[in-house]
Amino acid sequence: MASVKDLRERIRSLKNTQQITKAMKQVAAAKIRRAEMAQKQARPYADTLSEMLRDLMASVGTVDHPFMKTGNASAPQGVILMTADKGLAGAFNSNIIRAGEIYARANPSVTWYTVGIKARNFVRRSGSPDHQTWALNALAKIESAREVARRVTDDFVQGKIAGITLISPKLVSMLSQKPETRALVPITRTDIVGAADAHATPKGAVEFSPSPEAVLSRLLPKYLEFTIFSAMLETDAAFFAAQLVAMNNATDNAGKLIDELTIQMNNARQAAITKELLEIVGGAEALNG
Amino acid sequence: MASTVPFKLITPTKVVFEGDAELVIATTTEGEEGILPKHAPFLAALKPGVLRANVQRDGATTRLELATAEGFMQALPDRVTVLVDEAFAFEDVDVAKTQQELAQAQERQKTAPDPAAALRDQAAIDMANAKLRLTGHH
Repeated sequence: MASVKDLRERIRSLKNTQQITKAMKQVAAAKIRRAEMAQKQARPYADTLSEMLRDLMASVGTVDHPFMKTGNASAPQGVILMTADKGLAGAFNSNIIRAGEIYARANPSVTWYTVGIKARNFVRRSGSPDHQTWALNALAKIESAREVARRVTDDFVQGKIAGITLISPKLVSMLSQKPETRALVPITRTDIVGAADAHATPKGAVEFSPSPEAVLSRLLPKYLEFTIFSAMLETDAAFFAAQLVAMNNATDNAGKLIDELTIQMNNARQAAITKELLEIVGGAEALNG
Repeated sequence: MASTVPFKLITPTKVVFEGDAELVIATTTEGEEGILPKHAPFLAALKPGVLRANVQRDGATTRLELATAEGFMQALPDRVTVLVDEAFAFEDVDVAKTQQELAQAQERQKTAPDPAAALRDQAAIDMANAKLRLTGHH
């Protein structure tokens, strides 16, 4: 049985750990609020952008834009893998990376683009050390999103990749984040028009300047940029949610361990006292006898 | 009192302005376009420029002037919405820094590797010019 001194040491170090996890939990709780705020502030832009796209799609018949055509089928599939920059959030990053691995196994060849340091490290280890990569939180997110969108669409238009798929976490609820795999390019008509039909309002003839095609060719890249940007915001929010849960569990577990060890320590101390008493009594008996 | 139309100016990170406007003037790719209330449905691509609007604030008409990046303007009979990448108010513009950016973009454009890069540099030049025009340094 461990000595009282050893147990006291372990309890003290556990209390320190608990203090750290508790602090990280509070930081995550504060940051998640900020991340959700950023998501909320991006919503008006998202709504207006899709409304404009719908109006456009309704007024142009056939669309002749490279983003809406099937890509070069013999090229590898382009995959944007998006994780957080940091760990200490339970299985958050590894779940996304696993979704990436599953995707890569189902497709003969894949060109990686990564956002987030954890995704970068994974892809580097798995054999593409010089793929294109961005940190999730380096510059302003909108700048990185623009940069990512530009690189992937350039590669797509030049036929280096067959299509673009995005694997990023989805914030299902505070307690649950799931990796989500979705095809970004080629953009299909249903991506834009699909879900919105329920509350579509006919606006009659719409005039476009300079022309519907020209406006569309500017709107589509913006739409992609913004999709990537909002995925980055969601990754941030989901990461802090996962970290909050992980740190909460860690704090609870440390508490349980401390309780257990305290009982052990008290037992050990009591045993030592009893032993000493017995020795004294035994000694006195021996003298009297 | 002049009639007004609900007007919103939105960037990806925030709603810059939301209120009633009597007139909105934005720089489209084809030139400046002024929108009055009850405009026929209209959707235009914007290039970097100075956006001006006469808006209602606290019951009085005030002039709103912003340097905006590229984006889109949607006018409907009952509302006007402008979506831009960025919007700068007078006090947000750092004149010295903008002049530097302008010089850099012009330099870059001279050696641009392809037409797409040259176009991006042109957008940066237009943006810097818009900011300078807003602050009266142009």
